[in-house]
Amino acid sequence: MKTGFVMPQHDHAPLACRNLTKTYHSTDPATEVLRGVDLTVGRGEFLAVMGSSGSGKSTLLYNMSGMDRPTSGTVHLEGRELTTLKDAELSRVRLTRMGFIFQQAYFLNNLNLQDNILLPALKAAPGDSEAVVSRVDSLMDRFGIDHVRRHGVTQVSGGQLQRASICRALATEPAVLFADEPTGALNSSMTTEVMDALTDAHSGGTTLVMVTHDPVCAARADRVVYLRDGRITDSRELGRWRADDGRREDELFAWLSGNGF
Amino acid sequence: MSRQGGIRFRYLRRDMVQNKGVNLTLLLMLVLSAFLMATGSMVMERLVGAVDQLFDVAKPPHFLQMHKGEYDEAALERFAAAHPEIDSWLIEEMLGFDGASLAWERPSTGESGDLSSRLIDNLFVTQNEEFDFLIDETGAIPEPAVGEVYLPVGYQQSFDLQAGDELRIRTESGIRVLRIEGFVRDAQMASLLSSTRFLVSTADFEALAAAGGGTPEIIVEYRLDDPGTGADFQRVYEADAAVPKNGQGVTYEQIRLINAFSDGLVALALVFVSMLVMVIALLNVRFVIRGMLTDEVREIGAMKAIGLPDRMISGLYLLKYRAMTLSACLVGGAAAVVATHLLTGGIEDNYAEAEIGPATFLVPTLALSLVYLFVVGICRRVLGRVRRIEVVNALVHGSTLDERQTARRARRQARRVRRGRLDGYRGGNLNRRLAMLELRSEARSWLLIPLVFCLASILMTLPMNLYTTFDSSRFGTYLGVPDSELRVDLQFSDGLDALRGDVLTAMGNDDRLTGVESYANLTYRIEGDEGWETFRVEVGDYTQSTIEYIRGGRPGAGQIAVSALNAERYRLSPGDVLAMRLGDDEVVSVEVSGVYQDLTGGGYTAKMHGEVTADAAAYVVFADIVGGGTPAAIASEYGGRFPNATVLPTREYMKQTLSYAVDSFRGAALLALVSGVAVAALITSMFLKLRLASDRRRMGMLSAIGFSARELRNQVQGNALVAIATGVVAGAVLSATVGESMVGSLIAMAGLGITDLSFIPNPLLVYVAYPLLLIATGYLSTVFLTAGLRGADKSGWLTS
Repeated sequence: MKTGFVMPQHDHAPLACRNLTKTYHSTDPATEVLRGVDLTVGRGEFLAVMGSSGSGKSTLLYNMSGMDRPTSGTVHLEGRELTTLKDAELSRVRLTRMGFIFQQAYFLNNLNLQDNILLPALKAAPGDSEAVVSRVDSLMDRFGIDHVRRHGVTQVSGGQLQRASICRALATEPAVLFADEPTGALNSSMTTEVMDALTDAHSGGTTLVMVTHDPVCAARADRVVYLRDGRITDSRELGRWRADDGRREDELFAWLSGNGF
Repeated sequence: MSRQGGIRFRYLRRDMVQNKGVNLTLLLMLVLSAFLMATGSMVMERLVGAVDQLFDVAKPPHFLQMHKGEYDEAALERFAAAHPEIDSWLIEEMLGFDGASLAWERPSTGESGDLSSRLIDNLFVTQNEEFDFLIDETGAIPEPAVGEVYLPVGYQQSFDLQAGDELRIRTESGIRVLRIEGFVRDAQMASLLSSTRFLVSTADFEALAAAGGGTPEIIVEYRLDDPGTGADFQRVYEADAAVPKNGQGVTYEQIRLINAFSDGLVALALVFVSMLVMVIALLNVRFVIRGMLTDEVREIGAMKAIGLPDRMISGLYLLKYRAMTLSACLVGGAAAVVATHLLTGGIEDNYAEAEIGPATFLVPTLALSLVYLFVVGICRRVLGRVRRIEVVNALVHGSTLDERQTARRARRQARRVRRGRLDGYRGGNLNRRLAMLELRSEARSWLLIPLVFCLASILMTLPMNLYTTFDSSRFGTYLGVPDSELRVDLQFSDGLDALRGDVLTAMGNDDRLTGVESYANLTYRIEGDEGWETFRVEVGDYTQSTIEYIRGGRPGAGQIAVSALNAERYRLSPGDVLAMRLGDDEVVSVEVSGVYQDLTGGGYTAKMHGEVTADAAAYVVFADIVGGGTPAAIASEYGGRFPNATVLPTREYMKQTLSYAVDSFRGAALLALVSGVAVAALITSMFLKLRLASDRRRMGMLSAIGFSARELRNQVQGNALVAIATGVVAGAVLSATVGESMVGSLIAMAGLGITDLSFIPNPLLVYVAYPLLLIATGYLSTVFLTAGLRGADKSGWLTS
């Protein structure tokens, strides 16, 4: 294990957690999944979280996003401490300042694709429905799913569904977009499709935190952190991604293998 | 244990531990239905056994005719000689004393009281020699010694009397004291008849008769070669002009029915309740199995993939339901033994302790076997879906549907969502809109709740409506008794017309009374199957009558209304013309105006519009009280002033006559109430537990995109409330419409003269309080079940 690595600091960091721990007491003995994680995500940064299975990647994401409450430690979003917020306040924060993309594209079966994308945006700005609809229209157009807007969620491909997830997440103009293995259930062509969309969102200025075990996907990030046994053990700056930068993936593979990936 | 058996057993144990809540709820529902079914059948068996036992020893008559006043004994002899179908017959002489003339005292403690609160006739008799015996508590036929008296068991219960107490009888020549030696069961004068018998020795009977103050009455009783021909025999008897017959005539079937009426209805109510509970349990089983198949579709797919036959896979799941149903039958059956023992205490007191025979075990075993076979049969049927699960769809898509069903569902869904639900959204409660959309698209799954609440509502409402109907003062009007407060009967007295004049004058001048109306009872004859038959008609002014008519209306000039049993016997309907004659007078024709149901006078009565003329066989006067004095006090006052008149506070009288049945109905209604509420709470909890489990991904997603736990709770609670309220309202409407006619036809089948039953509900109770109670029960269960959503780990919903 590497020691003494220095956590990069960003000015005006929209998201930061300090000494974050999470212990599940339902198991015997109790399971410590996060053991004091310090992490800061800069404005407009694309951060990839990697690590082997069970290292605590998804738990970190859910605790930073307020979907789950940490056992101890703090999480700040745009300077606001999240761990002390009540459920309703936290829900409001998720609604207005965060977006989510999951491995499985979760949608309501009784709404068409457009309604599903509209749902959080309309809830966030109920009095401004015309502006919301036009924003969603342009997002669907931008991510190439405009033609399936009236389709049911069982009528479209997995790639289209994940792109719809990205549209839904961006529709509220969040401060941070969280993605948990967004390509985990997709084939390679759909994976490229979705990663292009995420890269596109990022290039538009969106801060992105993505958990993944796919180095090809992680190579799109500005920075990669490596998680092992609930601790961040290493970090690597990759800089802005360019489609023609062939060495980037090789460097990342080498770094990962150095971390025992 | 074979390898296969071992796997099954391990699966069973794992499932029982993992799904404790759901399994326990199902088990409780199954126990409740098995318990109620077993109890109902056991009560029925005990009741039939007890009545049979009593009838075996007591040998009640196959036809009996009551009569007051003079009679021609030679005519009875001639009648008996002319009818070879008579096996034996007797004339039982009786002395009637009203309750106010009877008092009791306990010499050991000095306690005392009177029997004036009992308005039915108290008839002193001696033990018969050939048949119609009064039976003591040991099942023997007692012969009281001089100075001893046996009282009806009903009195023992009502007045808490003991053997050794003294009965004081006020006669015209002073008080006579008899020692209460014991209590007797009476096969022919059971709970619903309006008289009851006291057993004394021949010497005491003669002394009482000589002392005066008692009203002599007789019952002419017949045992026939064929007990089933009582009704035919009654027609033959009534067609004979010479035999005495101014009182009630009762057949063997009626005696049996009356004996079994209230307890039988309770047993029927138990079976009815158990059937509803079983339907609810089966709906649940179906819901749980279908949910389980969806949850475990991948495991089922895997089992199919490795080549396990469908029968073995469904057998694995069926084992659990077999085990649960069997346990439920055993536990329910054991509990039913205790409950039956408690419920049949009254039956044993009133009839006899039925012997334990093969039927005692066979009947509940058969009932429980039916429950077992029915539940397991339904489980097997639902598990048949395992056959239709396709391996690839199960393993890859986690779906129980095959390719065609999936495509069909997708097409249906696509059609449904094509029209946007939110793009036209202009504010309003988005959460509520989402909840309603969810309820609509998941209606098939939610259907369980309205169905269960509808059935629970019926389950609670019908027995309560039956209870309030029998308990209502207006109930009498359904049975041919006008809704008046006082009833004066004038009969078997010399100078009847003068007495009627005196009574009418006294009542007319009494400021406390209003609506004094008198009717004459005339004995007409009409042409029936047996020639000219006796036809009792009440004549008077019916323009203000409160009797309820089931067909047609009240009689006007030249019209007659007939009781339901008469309408059936003589095939009469409103509009028909009836030819009848009074004595040897000419035949007169009257038009039938309507049909009413009647329990009085054996159910064969008629009411004709006309002047109340003199020389009638009997008169009846009705009056209402406008103020000052209770009906019982005024009745007692008039009874004192006119010793030859029988004065009754009608409603109180009805209440006493029906009190046994009413008590039974109260118990059944209470049991149904508790069962309904318990079922509602259990099923709501179980349904929501499963619903929340299958909904966790949807809730996790909504939580991630910004819906708070409170909003998610509100969605579930709102949907539950809509489903519950829909079911409760449907239940109340069905109870008031279909339920009424269903119960009505069941009671009509009992052949007691009630052919049409309109509920007299307590609307506030059954249509406001009951629905609110059910809704509150369901809603509180929902609140309790959804309370855990607040602290739940939302990310766990997405990752589980």
